[in-house]
Amino acid sequence: MGLKRNVGLMEGLRYQGKGPMLTYYLHRISGLSIVIFVALHILAGYLSNQAWGSSTGLFINSIYESWIFQIYIFFCALFHAINGLRIVILDLWPKLIEYQREAIWIEWLVFLPIYSIALFVIIRSGLGG
Amino acid sequence: MEVTIKVFRYNPEKDKKPSYKTYKLEAIETDRVLDLLEKVKGYQDGTLSFRRSCAHGICGSDAMRINGFNRLACKTLVRDTGATIIVQPLLGLRVIKDLIVDMEPFFEHYRSVKPWLINDEPEPEKERTQSAAQRAIFDDTTKCILCACCTTSCPSFWANEQYVGPAAIVAAHRFIFDSRDKAAAERLKILNEVWGVYRCHTVFNCTMACPREIQITKAIGEVKMALTTGKLE
Ligand code: FES
Repeated sequence: MGLKRNVGLMEGLRYQGKGPMLTYYLHRISGLSIVIFVALHILAGYLSNQAWGSSTGLFINSIYESWIFQIYIFFCALFHAINGLRIVILDLWPKLIEYQREAIWIEWLVFLPIYSIALFVIIRSGLGG
Repeated sequence: MEVTIKVFRYNPEKDKKPSYKTYKLEAIETDRVLDLLEKVKGYQDGTLSFRRSCAHGICGSDAMRINGFNRLACKTLVRDTGATIIVQPLLGLRVIKDLIVDMEPFFEHYRSVKPWLINDEPEPEKERTQSAAQRAIFDDTTKCILCACCTTSCPSFWANEQYVGPAAIVAAHRFIFDSRDKAAAERLKILNEVWGVYRCHTVFNCTMACPREIQITKAIGEVKMALTTGKLE
């Protein structure tokens, strides 16, 4: 008797895991985004070389080249890299895991300036044309 | 102050689906959520079911999700939760009634890592001695009270209950790194299985949730390292 074991996606997402859990989610989302981006990129490259698909290829390319998309994909790539490094470091030196909260602070401290500079450059050239 | 406490309710004999019931009651800042539940059960609604025993953070029976985060109700003050409190059963274990979940899968994983001393060498005349430094290596993981806060906060466990879970790894760590125990290899082999230690994706939910402040992810990291290097240090 009783309910079935059931952990819905929404229920999991609503768990208040705070900072570390946020990086976990962002890692999955950014990883998936990068895979989709690269796959579409290859597809677009292939299509634009085919007479029958060139307009589709060009259309996909035009999405990439928009600066708004670049803001997103650069976030994914940079975050995924830095967060991955944090996990690799903690995996290799388990003693450091005690300082995991600090590790996340450092991660954001490294991430934010780099991302802000990139953001500045992307937006300026985006708006400047 | 007046607090509003919204509690997950499910009675297998009557309800088809779970629901939430809201109770209002007077409380002071230093009341614990467990006190509130006791008050609701005692004065407002005797049908409310939950587990509790020691009421002092030692037995580990009143783990639940309080405002969306795993804690012991007996260690959570109203001061920290605020005046609106949502109480739900642990996630990832079957709900039996209201806040009571079926802990059996959890204990099954616990037993699977053989959480007892294994040493077939002839007994010494006095005790098996251990230096303070040897003891310190696994001190942290002796503190576990088996409340399941960690295992049920772990996304890997939510995704699949076959995952042995942080609590069982903590129990294994406690013996793997104990110099008096001789079955480290056996336990490491169990944790090296498909549903063993490598399902841990360093989310740190377990470390954050542990009411005993055990560095669970660190213990898991040390077990992973022992598996990789084959050394126990
Ligand atoms: S009632 Fe024993 S730990 Fe809370």
